[in-house]
Amino acid sequence: MESNQIFIEKSGNVTVLDIKGDVTSASESVFNETYQSLEGDSPKILLKFDPSVYINSGGIAVLIQLLAETRRKNQQVGITGLSDHFQKIFKMVGITRFARIYPSVEGATQGLAG
Amino acid sequence: MQQEREIVRMIDEQTVEVSLPNRMGYERIAMDCSASFARIAGLVSHRIEDLKTAVAEACLNAIEHGNRGRPEARVLIHLNCDGETFTVTVVDEGEGIAEFPKEPDIEQKLAKLETPRGLGIFLMKNLMDRVEFNRKTARGHSVTMVLRMETAPAASKASREMA
Repeated sequence: MESNQIFIEKSGNVTVLDIKGDVTSASESVFNETYQSLEGDSPKILLKFDPSVYINSGGIAVLIQLLAETRRKNQQVGITGLSDHFQKIFKMVGITRFARIYPSVEGATQGLAG
Repeated sequence: MQQEREIVRMIDEQTVEVSLPNRMGYERIAMDCSASFARIAGLVSHRIEDLKTAVAEACLNAIEHGNRGRPEARVLIHLNCDGETFTVTVVDEGEGIAEFPKEPDIEQKLAKLETPRGLGIFLMKNLMDRVEFNRKTARGHSVTMVLRMETAPAASKASREMA
C-alpha cells in the first residue's frame, strides 16, 4: 500500500497540509505526527488532497480524529483537491459541516482568511 | 513450493470472480476489477466511483472482521452484470455481522463520544441501490450489493449485449 507523506506549507496565514498518497487507517501516525509538529499558532488549516487519492472508511476515521483535535483547539479547517466523488462522501458523512470544501488553495486562503 | 492461485476468473460474459488473499490493501484489486468490468458494461462514471468505494468497504470488512485478519483466509468477490443490474457479492470465511454499527453521528464522533470508525457499512448502504448482509453460503458469509445500471448513451450497446 502506498505510504503517506504530508508536506507543510504556508499560504498567507493558512497552514496547508499537502497530503500525498492514500488515506487509510495506516495513515494515522503520519497525520498525528504532522499535526503535532505544527509550530506555534495554526488557527487556519487547509487539507490539500491529491485529486486521484484513495480514501477509505479507515482514512475518514483518521480525518475525523484530526478534526476533533482542531475543534478542541478552535482551529478553522478547509479542504481542497478532492474529486467530486470524495466531496460527495465527505458531505454524506457530515465532515463538510465542520470543514468547508474550497475549489483551490487560493480560494481556500481567501475563504479561511475571511 | 507455494501453490499458485488464480486471482481473477472470467466465468462467462456476464460474470467475473476475484479471489484475494486476506490482506489489507488488496481490496484495491477488487476495486479495479469491478470498475473495469462496470466500465465495459457501460456504467456511467460517477456510479463506477460509488461502486469502487462500496466494493473496497465490503472487502475491508471481510478482511478485518469476517476473516479476522487471518492470512490463510481468502475473500471472494463475485461480479455479475445482466444488463439491468450490476451485482457484487463479497464472501468471507466468517460468521456474519453480529452487531451492526449505528448510523454515524459526526457531532458525537468529533466530541469523541462515538468511535470515529464504523463508517464502512454506512457508505455501502448509501452508495449502492440495495445491500443484503449476512447471507450464508457454502464458503462462509456474504454481502450482496446491487446497483441499477445507468449507462452512458454510447455504451448502451455493450450493456444490451451483456443482457
